[in-house]
Amino acid sequence: MILLVDMDAFFASVEQQLHPHLRGRAVIVCGDKDRRGVVTAASYEARPFGVRAGMPMREARRLCPHAEYVEGNPRKYVEKSLELLEIFLTVTPDVEPFSVDEAFLDLSRLGARGDTYEAATHVARGLQQRIAEEHGLGASIGIGPNKLIAKMASGVEKPRGLTVMDEERFRGVFWPQPVQALWGVGEKSAAAFARLGITTVGDLARAPEPLLEQHFGVVGPHLQQAAWGRDRTPVVPYHEGVDPKSMGHEVTLPEDSRDAAFLEGTLLRLADQVARRLRGDGFAARTLTLKLRDFRFRTITRQRALPVAVDDHVSIFEVARALWREHWKGEPVRLIGVSASALEKKGEGEQIELFARDERRSALQEALDQVRDRLGEASVVPAGSLAYRRALGHVPFGAAQRTDADAPGKGDARVQRRATRDRLAGRSGYDDGAERSAPDPTQLKPRLDKRRPAP
Amino acid sequence: MFESLDDPIDVLTVFVDGAMRPLRFRWQGRVVPVRQVTGQWNRRDGQSVYRHFAVQGPRDDSYELCYDTRSACWRLNRAWTLPGGTP
Repeated sequence: MILLVDMDAFFASVEQQLHPHLRGRAVIVCGDKDRRGVVTAASYEARPFGVRAGMPMREARRLCPHAEYVEGNPRKYVEKSLELLEIFLTVTPDVEPFSVDEAFLDLSRLGARGDTYEAATHVARGLQQRIAEEHGLGASIGIGPNKLIAKMASGVEKPRGLTVMDEERFRGVFWPQPVQALWGVGEKSAAAFARLGITTVGDLARAPEPLLEQHFGVVGPHLQQAAWGRDRTPVVPYHEGVDPKSMGHEVTLPEDSRDAAFLEGTLLRLADQVARRLRGDGFAARTLTLKLRDFRFRTITRQRALPVAVDDHVSIFEVARALWREHWKGEPVRLIGVSASALEKKGEGEQIELFARDERRSALQEALDQVRDRLGEASVVPAGSLAYRRALGHVPFGAAQRTDADAPGKGDARVQRRATRDRLAGRSGYDDGAERSAPDPTQLKPRLDKRRPAP
Repeated sequence: MFESLDDPIDVLTVFVDGAMRPLRFRWQGRVVPVRQVTGQWNRRDGQSVYRHFAVQGPRDDSYELCYDTRSACWRLNRAWTLPGGTP
């Protein structure tokens, strides 16, 4: 039996718990509240006014002017997430932190104490009670025979809901719903399904498999299985670790900009952040993606596959800039992002060749990493990114975030805990705290279709 | 509303059972007694470790304090000011 524990309005609830005067009030967590950006999280008191995560701040202020606007702090939420992880681990060692505010628990090891719907319900109620009593927070829990059903069940009743589902009930609840309700189906997939006349989860379940395969490749039949409530993805306990599939940073600019020098400086800063994370975790990337959102909220992503894997900011920046120059048409830019995927563990494959070829750059990078590990992230930055920093009113040596460069070893609980903290911080999607950039909730709570594990 | 600050402050601190706890702090010439510590978390930057505390003052006023373990200095990061005046 699988449980998915989803913390209710997590960031806003943590702020309410830390600051009692916020309890019972509409709270909106955002980036720098004096800058524009988007809503990171809204408390349940703010939601009746129509405020939602991802909404532009200007819109939120119009809908809910009396709300308390609180600048989010990722470290705070990651620490709380780790405290909650300790509670989950008292139930079972098979806990997979899925994001900063969600975790899967596999109860199958508990036998009769957890592997029936009744026993799992008992465990779930106990967890909700402990989370409320010890942390003053609410959690909604889904229970199902697999991760897919547990995940989707957790969203049926909120806040503080508890929903138990077997495959049959899953079909009863979700088959009439729009196909986008299915975990793994995003906006674009839904549009593609609609063109085939598939509009509900039930339509997808009953569609001819060859048709799905023809239009969606292997993903089509996989999603069809999901529509039946079938899923074989295992819970990967946190102590076993999961290699990330991608790493990225993005930032909402202080104001829409068409200043090429400033935008390229921003790209350089983002490339540097991505490179630092890659090296910190011992990865190099074979694919780089540029994300641009213009003043009309139109978003484009463009990617490029590379002949060799890279992990230095110069290489990443050069590719990102080339993509940028190719695809930017001069319109004002609102958001810009860089991400790396097709990750390879350093030392594998052609990475060796790359490092042998460019030893000087590698040695320089290592020395710079050592300086940052010791003195902090902003102690050394690419000069070209300073224009961007000045635009944010940011003092370079006042920076705040640290990316732990220690490669985590498996089996060492302390090191693993730190690695989990860093992973959660990475998944929280915040830019450097010191950069005061507005976190993008599409990264804070990544879209489900992006997080869906590969079949 | 919350005010983001970065003010140096003096803090009277007690260490109990290996844990530190701020008791009162001086800010803008006033002494603010800490009625309750509502939460704490750590942040690292390079080799520096910063210990953060969310605390409540005597009148439901709310603050976030930060202790730099390297320099042994305190700063006030945020304060929630009551409408129409200082906390």
